[in-house]
Amino acid sequence: MALARAEKLSFSYPGSSAPALRDVSTDLVPGQVTLVLGPSGSGKSTLLRAFAGLVPHFHGGVFSGRVEVAGLDTRRHGPARLAGTVATLFQDPEDQVVFTRVLNEVAFGLENVGTPAQEIEARALDALAWVGAEHLAGRLVTELSGGELQRVCLAATLALEPKLLLFDEPTSQLDPEAAESLVELALRLARDRGTAVLLSEQRPALPLEVCDRVLFLDRGRLAFDGPVGQAQAWLEEHHPLFVSAGGDVGVHHHQFGEVTSRLDAVSYAYEDHLLVLDRASLELRRGEVVALVGPNGSGKTTLAKLAAGLLEPLGGRVQRRGRATYLSQDPGRYVFHERADEEVAVGVDGDLAAASRALAAVGLSGYEDRHPRDLSSGERERLALAAVLAPEPDLLVLDEPTRGVDPERKHELAALLRANTARATLVVTHDRAFATAVADRIVSLEPDRELVHA
Amino acid sequence: MRPAPAAALLFGLAAAALLARHTASVAALAVVLFVVCLRAPVSRRWPYLVGAVGSAVALFVLTPFVERLPGTVFWSGPTIPVVGTLDITSTELSGALFNACRLAAVSLAFSAYALWLDHDRLVQAAGFARRSVLAVALATRLMPALERDAAGLVEALRGRGVEPEGLRGRARLVSPLLAGSLERSLNLAEAMEARGFGRPGATRLPQPEWGVREPLALAGAVLAVLVGALWL
Repeated sequence: MALARAEKLSFSYPGSSAPALRDVSTDLVPGQVTLVLGPSGSGKSTLLRAFAGLVPHFHGGVFSGRVEVAGLDTRRHGPARLAGTVATLFQDPEDQVVFTRVLNEVAFGLENVGTPAQEIEARALDALAWVGAEHLAGRLVTELSGGELQRVCLAATLALEPKLLLFDEPTSQLDPEAAESLVELALRLARDRGTAVLLSEQRPALPLEVCDRVLFLDRGRLAFDGPVGQAQAWLEEHHPLFVSAGGDVGVHHHQFGEVTSRLDAVSYAYEDHLLVLDRASLELRRGEVVALVGPNGSGKTTLAKLAAGLLEPLGGRVQRRGRATYLSQDPGRYVFHERADEEVAVGVDGDLAAASRALAAVGLSGYEDRHPRDLSSGERERLALAAVLAPEPDLLVLDEPTRGVDPERKHELAALLRANTARATLVVTHDRAFATAVADRIVSLEPDRELVHA
Repeated sequence: MRPAPAAALLFGLAAAALLARHTASVAALAVVLFVVCLRAPVSRRWPYLVGAVGSAVALFVLTPFVERLPGTVFWSGPTIPVVGTLDITSTELSGALFNACRLAAVSLAFSAYALWLDHDRLVQAAGFARRSVLAVALATRLMPALERDAAGLVEALRGRGVEPEGLRGRARLVSPLLAGSLERSLNLAEAMEARGFGRPGATRLPQPEWGVREPLALAGAVLAVLVGALWL
């Protein structure tokens, strides 16, 4: 018996000519983990929002068809009414935190759904224990790392003991170990509590091992809906990059040019004086692509910023030859101008021709006059990449460039990075498959700040 | 101390500063509140102190030029159409100082509220108008969020080799900062609605009982308003 059902669901966001979902019919069964895959902008998040009642109640737009959750028609029952039955974990934990203390944050949903006051604290602590975060209960959310914050947000959804749990790319900011434990937790919830779990992911390898069923969305249409066994074969035939380890993106060079950046025993600490990096060394050569991996909080971003010259080390030495550019983790920071080409031209003294070339290189030819804020998240990511490619740097530093990017776009990105042999490239990533596909060398930054070269 | 009585005490001090008639009294209140703010961590307090003190100084500097009050003339300048002759008199200066101290005291009371109070508990203590209190608590967090966003935007520029220097360089951050705040507020609103915010029948995490300091703070708030109105 299905817990939730979508029947001929179509939806268009306000002001959008193309529907985000077209004629989607599917159902979600208690105790099953359903994985929803698809390229960026294919409607995965919209489908999750439809099951939460946020579409159409929060977003507006044109809605047709029917969505029912636990017998409640979402056209008549909004998200606040569905809360408790349904819980959603969004992609960016920073955008969903309401309170400043962890316990209060986890208790917020319980308070809203009218949980008896005496039970709230115990249930909040139980939920924190479920995700291994009970020790964080008294902490300020501003003190937590991205991974810890995501676990707190997860606890806030679990505390509601929902029948339907919606995960919108929850592992995009997590290291592989944390991502694995989150996916295992989803499986445990489905098996032990009989929760129906709908999980949207852009790193599908691990979820494909544990899920029961796969949905594949393509431009808003449900292209595949079936058990995971059949899904593997279908994906291999139609979208092989969703089941491969990144694919072949060209010859990996073994002879590189001069050193463009050398970090020699660098140390760094932020305002809290805790050492983030302790005597780390790294050398980057022209033509080389180096992937920097490691768990959340191991200092990868700090090392990348030191290499790019955005931070000065407290100890040790950084030498650079030529120009370095740095791609921030958040593509929403590349929005200073109202046209995409002008935004990209910021780093090349307003040279619009160079900006157009960079836009074309990332597949955004024809987007010159578009407003950066009107682009989809995947397109924004590529615009940001164009902005740091345009100056033709000697050292290109990319911090998590595959967040929210689908496997096919990742493959294109890897090919683009490998095609240039004139510069050194340092890629910070949690995505092991992408690191393997793109890098000549993988450098692992361990929590004890040792650099392990592979 | 529990946040509700602490907020009441800060409100009382701000009200006393608005009701007081003597510059020395208002200045004393401003100094007390300044010292309270100074005890907050450096990284958190500076935007509030710069905002509070900067706006008070600006008010003190500008007021004599736009007011026309009699008194000993210290300086007389050119005549400007509409505004008239620019001059600075003793009455204008003392009035400007009084108003600047008032503004500083009220801004510093808000700064102390933002820096020191546990806004979570304040929201949870709200027996009525909880939504409004939550809105104020979220608005109070706007300043640190804007600060973080501004640092991110500067980093995105520096990552492309552009140093945003001077007033003009900083001014280019304003538009993306405002647009980013709107975007974030929409995301937060969506997440709150998905967690049942606004549903009737909400309950509250039980709060600890009041101790000795809480009634004292409330009494202090009432006393501050009375003293401000009658004697200061």
